[in-house]
Amino acid sequence: MKRTFRVMGIVVALIISGLSLAAHDKYRIIGTVAKVTEKLVDVTQTKDGKTITMDMTDKTVVTRDKKKVGRADLKTGLSVVVDALGDSLDELDVVEIRIVPPSTKK
Amino acid sequence: MTSPTAPQRLAPPSLSTLARTTAIALLVAAALLVTTVLPAEYAIDPLGTGRWLGLTEIASPTLVPVGTATATTTVLAPVQNGPLGVYPGEFTVDVFEIALAPYEYVEYKYQLEKGATMLYAWTANAGLVHDFHGERVAGAADGPAEESFDTQNRRQANGSLTAPFKGIHGWYWENPSGETVTVRLTSAGYYTSAIEIRSDRTRRTRPLRPLATLPAWPERPGGAGAQ
Repeated sequence: MKRTFRVMGIVVALIISGLSLAAHDKYRIIGTVAKVTEKLVDVTQTKDGKTITMDMTDKTVVTRDKKKVGRADLKTGLSVVVDALGDSLDELDVVEIRIVPPSTKK
Repeated sequence: MTSPTAPQRLAPPSLSTLARTTAIALLVAAALLVTTVLPAEYAIDPLGTGRWLGLTEIASPTLVPVGTATATTTVLAPVQNGPLGVYPGEFTVDVFEIALAPYEYVEYKYQLEKGATMLYAWTANAGLVHDFHGERVAGAADGPAEESFDTQNRRQANGSLTAPFKGIHGWYWENPSGETVTVRLTSAGYYTSAIEIRSDRTRRTRPLRPLATLPAWPERPGGAGAQ
């Protein structure tokens, strides 16, 4: 019986952690790629120069001109618009990275 | 000398135990999803537990009416009398202008009662990704949380809206270009508050302009609004 409850607890914990992932807030980060690895991308925001580090997951999509491209196309210095999910700027999972033309200065 | 006790090995649970516990866990998780997560995150509250626990407020915070011509407690719902819609208070006017930096978006919405009307005109100096939509109040069960009325990308629009449900109604404008775009909205209607939500996640209610602050036009000699 004890084992039954233990297994049940683990399954509930797994399901709830999955649900909490689905319950994150939406963030938009606009800037240039400062660093990119297989799992992480650093983007320096245009508005304040702050660099945000975000996780890239298996579901992360990279696009250019509305077409899907590979992660290898993501290079340091490119202008990007990132839509991400998370609870704060310190823990964001990237949903989509759009490679866009650089912003024109006002 | 004593020999160490061999560690006790637990046999893995049987398939039937795993299946039973997984089924129970799924039921518990489904119950938590319906009673807690959906009300708090999406204002979907089929059992009423979200309202009871105050969770739906998290998903759709109540807007506090600010600076309106009408008393803040006035509900500006129309009473239909033939072709007339009669309201218990004055309408309000608003002018909103914003410069959207490249790829930024903003949402700008008014609180309207079901059946309340507003007139609007907006223009931008370049095309925008656009979604004119409404969001029901938290916990409303008469339809989806959000409904879009017009999602065509536009540079300007003029029109009127009669709110199909109680909630916040307004625009999502996104600048799809690398240059700053300015949007200017002018509206008048039986709304009680306005909220601005930026792409950097800042939210603020905006003061609206009471009718009494509008000068007569053209102004008469002797000052604004002189009789």
